Amino acid sequence: MANNNENKVMSAREAISRFVVDGEQLIIGNYTVGTCCEFVYEICRQEKKGFTLYSQSGVLDVDVLVNAGCVDRLVTTYVLRSGGKKGGGAVQRAMQAGTLEWEDYTNFNYNARLVAGMHGFSFMQVFEGVMATDLFTKRGFMGEDKYRVITCPYTGKKVLTVPAANPDTCIIHVQRADRYGNAQYWGSMGSVAAAALCSKKIIVSCEEIVEHDVIQASPHFTIIPAYRVNAVVEIPWGAHPTEVLGYYNMDRFFYGMFMQENATADGAKAWMDEWVYGCEDREAYLDHYADKFGLGMLDSIRAKAFYSTPANYGSAFTSAWDENGKERAMGITLKEMEKTMEERGMLYE
Amino acid sequence: MSKGYTLNELLVITCAKEINDYENVILGVGLPTAAGALAKALYAPHASLMMESGIIDFEPLVSLNHIADAHSCRGFSCATDLFSAFTMTYRGFVDVCFLGVAQIDKYGNLNTTCIGDYYNPTLRLPGSGGAADFISYAGHTVLTMLGGEFVEKLDYLTSPGHLTGGNSRNDSGLFPQDSGPSMLLTTKGVFRFDAETKELYLAQIHPGITVDDVRNDVPWDLKVSPELSETERPTDREIDFVRQFAPTISMGREVATELTIDSVVKRAQQRGKM
Repeated sequence: MANNNENKVMSAREAISRFVVDGEQLIIGNYTVGTCCEFVYEICRQEKKGFTLYSQSGVLDVDVLVNAGCVDRLVTTYVLRSGGKKGGGAVQRAMQAGTLEWEDYTNFNYNARLVAGMHGFSFMQVFEGVMATDLFTKRGFMGEDKYRVITCPYTGKKVLTVPAANPDTCIIHVQRADRYGNAQYWGSMGSVAAAALCSKKIIVSCEEIVEHDVIQASPHFTIIPAYRVNAVVEIPWGAHPTEVLGYYNMDRFFYGMFMQENATADGAKAWMDEWVYGCEDREAYLDHYADKFGLGMLDSIRAKAFYSTPANYGSAFTSAWDENGKERAMGITLKEMEKTMEERGMLYE
Repeated sequence: MSKGYTLNELLVITCAKEINDYENVILGVGLPTAAGALAKALYAPHASLMMESGIIDFEPLVSLNHIADAHSCRGFSCATDLFSAFTMTYRGFVDVCFLGVAQIDKYGNLNTTCIGDYYNPTLRLPGSGGAADFISYAGHTVLTMLGGEFVEKLDYLTSPGHLTGGNSRNDSGLFPQDSGPSMLLTTKGVFRFDAETKELYLAQIHPGITVDDVRNDVPWDLKVSPELSETERPTDREIDFVRQFAPTISMGREVATELTIDSVVKRAQQRGKM
């Protein structure tokens, strides 16, 4: 596949405007931590609509998109809610208002759909225990295609399956990437790589864009290779108030404030007006945060360094020719080699 | 007489005693992670603590925010993915799993999906997450219920317990033999499952609680163990550990949140903000 590595670095505004299309299937790549908050907020600001949203585990990301009216259908396993009987959140409100269709899976079932999609398979076997539950018996908009049971051709046993998922666009936040799109992520791996790789388009935000040689020296951290990536956006604090390992912890105070506000429609609207619509981009959001609470709040959650022990990617040599100019295996110089070629009649004019 | 303890401290410490040394343990968020840290520090130093996010063999230093909280420890032994965390459970490598409960029936089947009609819920709860997968294939599962309820019939069966009791779980052919929930911890006592009928019975009662207090919460005629005992009182060493490790859990969410907000507002106001 042709891969244009030029012009992938852009703003969140441009990336969302170019690659996130109304009515398509959208997947949040992150799982529980370090979610792509700025991309989510930008989708709301651009008033994108009609998504079938995939999320392994909804934190504030899913509720913000549902609050903004961007989501028609939701495929998930878990959505965090403001606690208690008076709690709830945007997802509960939308279900009760009849404006949201949904499909519930278990964590493994959902992830299996992504893994099938990422490898190009049409379905994946999942654990049969779910057949004893209402996850299996109660179907949402997918109907019969939520789960299907087949017979294993080898053992003759009944096997539960889920269909592959190949969402149109994955939005994802990672620690670092290069300008070509090689995206590096570490820590809690979750289903992050699968969510990105099963998708047709991938737009990546990162805490920092690094030089390509940083990627080359640590390829085991690369979860998405450049050729799959459509856009790279550098957004420091791009996951705030969720956390990014090695960069910052969860902002528990701010997150708690969101959870409180999100318990009611009015509270959620006020919060969205202030922190999503009221800030034109992440820089404006951080300015507003600093004005209101002080930068000390952010400084107190900055990560201290605890570096991974470097892995030795070195080899015995990086040239076929040794320090005396002799080829390592044949023990001759380039000149001697060319002479031999000529003597043995190996060269064509 | 040892020092006074909070209800949360009693629960964490009681929960921790369900972990044996050398076990592979899947921890859900909240109380179970504090229990896991306590068990590893005091009773089960060789246990491997694991979470579904693929964090394997971690030693938490502070209380966790959720099941993907790599910030709570200083590195960990293996970073695998969610898919593999579940398939290792399916293959039988997980000895015990800890799960939170919203609704439970007499055979330990769980609902964490909704209250009321699934398609038009009165309350929408978080959903299965990994619960249905783990309770299906972990060696056994320990349940904790803090704000939930006992019901005759679940509004939605999210996670399979002992199904309709007796041998029904084993006979279904869907689960490893003799797996399923082994214990339920609530704010009032400890429940276990009858070996034959697989029905919940009250095994231990927390200090200061009566059997009637417990019965009032249960809509069926609750069986009570003839050897009913009082939940063991925490030692100073256990209490000190929980307070050091997870002071906000010792304090309880409500008071801890109130004090946190006060502290942040005060700090901002001192700097002329807010």
